[in-house]
Amino acid sequence: MGHHSNWPEWIYIGVVIALLCWVGAEAWNVERLIEHVPEDAKIIKVTGQQWFWTFEHEDGTKEIGELHVEKGKAYKFEITSKDVNHSFNIHDYVVLMDAVPGRVNTVWFAPMEAGEHDIQCKEFCGLIHYNMRGKLIVEEPSS
Amino acid sequence: MRSITAVFLVLTILVVIPTVQYAFAAGDEPGEYLDRRVEIWNLFFRMMTVAFTIGAIVSGTIVWLCWRFRESHPKASPTEYEAKGEW
Repeated sequence: MGHHSNWPEWIYIGVVIALLCWVGAEAWNVERLIEHVPEDAKIIKVTGQQWFWTFEHEDGTKEIGELHVEKGKAYKFEITSKDVNHSFNIHDYVVLMDAVPGRVNTVWFAPMEAGEHDIQCKEFCGLIHYNMRGKLIVEEPSS
Repeated sequence: MRSITAVFLVLTILVVIPTVQYAFAAGDEPGEYLDRRVEIWNLFFRMMTVAFTIGAIVSGTIVWLCWRFRESHPKASPTEYEAKGEW
């Protein structure tokens, strides 16, 4: 013992630590980028309940099962639930946030092209969870 | 001495990681418009590139070690313990 050099082990440890730091820093940086809500983001209150989604726009307009937004604008979802845990998911836009009773979780996105996308619940929430779906309709800006 | 160094290394990491996390954490300042699909999938592909590269290096090293230090390798030599008959 002790006669041989162990520098390869130290290099190995150093490389592993450097890689872990890099992975952490990259992930944190992306998290920072996608969590900072733009100043002019419009707030949409999202409520999940067995087994449908309700949306309330800033002007008080309410929608059930369908959400109309405009292309090129930022929207901040304030998500909550009336009964059990749900999870608000717009798969095409990588929007995913839990809807928890008594708590408001936020996530924002800015759709960049017009079209229709599926909204779904991504947390098993009871018998008709599979059909707790909605439709996101991204429209051309009105003005 | 070595163990003290190791302890300090672990403590440093335990302090550094929360500090970096705090520094990078989302604050109150407004963010810019961005396509979260692009950011998230780019991160995923970068991480996968690193993971597969490291995986290839590590598994390649293990394969080479097994090949080079097998008993039947032409350049194989007994360890000092084996040479002395202690093993």
